[in-house]
Amino acid sequence: MANFLTPMWNAVARAYGGDKPGKMLIHTGIIGWAMSSIAQIAAIVLNDKIPKEQKMFMVPQEAADAAANILSFYLITRTFTSVASKLVSRGKWLPEAVKNFLLKDTKIADKIGKSGFDVEASGLLSGNLLDDYKDFRRGIDVTSTLIGTVISCNIVTPVLRNLYASHKQKDSIKRYNEYNKKLKQNIHIDYYKRPTMADFQSGSSLKI
Amino acid sequence: MNVTGVSSRLHRLANSVSDKIVDHIPAFTPSSKKVLNTVKWIGNRVSSPQNRLILGVTALMSQPFIDLYNTNVDERTREVSAARTVAKIIAGTATGFTIRYMTIAAIDKFEKFFKPTIFVQNMKQYKMALGSILALWVMVGTNFLIDAPLTQYLTNKFINKIDQNHASKAAKTKEVSNG
Repeated sequence: MANFLTPMWNAVARAYGGDKPGKMLIHTGIIGWAMSSIAQIAAIVLNDKIPKEQKMFMVPQEAADAAANILSFYLITRTFTSVASKLVSRGKWLPEAVKNFLLKDTKIADKIGKSGFDVEASGLLSGNLLDDYKDFRRGIDVTSTLIGTVISCNIVTPVLRNLYASHKQKDSIKRYNEYNKKLKQNIHIDYYKRPTMADFQSGSSLKI
Repeated sequence: MNVTGVSSRLHRLANSVSDKIVDHIPAFTPSSKKVLNTVKWIGNRVSSPQNRLILGVTALMSQPFIDLYNTNVDERTREVSAARTVAKIIAGTATGFTIRYMTIAAIDKFEKFFKPTIFVQNMKQYKMALGSILALWVMVGTNFLIDAPLTQYLTNKFINKIDQNHASKAAKTKEVSNG
């Protein structure tokens, strides 16, 4: 049943209807990170209790934090998925039955596992063996994406974020203390500069 | 150098790095039916809702400890940030998993409406992908309506609990020192 949204369904089918679910997990992960960061930024912008000067600092800070999170998520997870995909497509990681079948072909036996070889493109697999290969590839794709996601989101990103936040906190405390120090000095000077009754009574032309 | 040039250089660099890693990883040829069936099951069953759940569970096992052992900040900041992290994980995982699961279930139920008109190699993967994408749109609203207030509520609950623990510990220490 075609409807006004069918072009969108077709676009999703073209991009993610294949046998590589890891790609979808990475892309939706990135969009999820971005949307959550936009929500955080919007919450700052719309919060009346935060002064404008602080907003000017907090919005770029949140945006930088989001960019770092997304970049580390993409780089780490993408590396895991890419390595796993190459391991399977080159034939370095394969179910034993599939590998034994490929090794029977003397023309390609020494190419298996090496750069430039592609199990599926070789066209040697068919029927159950091809299905077994695709099931294995899909499982490794999802597993590697999961491992990459866990490492980037649950270990690398929190450690980096804590380092950045503690650095920012120290910086803010230092600036706050400097500001307070200057403020105290100013009050001190103002206090002694302020005219007192004594100023008018002695050394002044004004006599009461 | 333009953006395309930089991106293609980065792509080549990433490719050569992953090639080097692949060369150093030993071969793996599982023969056990149990291992092969587990890998197959993960490929067919694990999608974004399960991914979110696994991410949440592993986050609970790692992130609060990273916060608690962050020696760059004082003890109170560590406790508050760990409490907020736990609250954020619980709120985010609960809503993230539920919404993803429900959108995929909705696509299954109203399959005709969501059916593409082109050939799809793997219909199951398509439904999971579409469900995950639609879930992201739903989560634009729930981030504000559920996640943020729930995180705030849970954070306050956890901080109160931490304060109560400190108070009872302090009372016990006082009792001991008073004899």
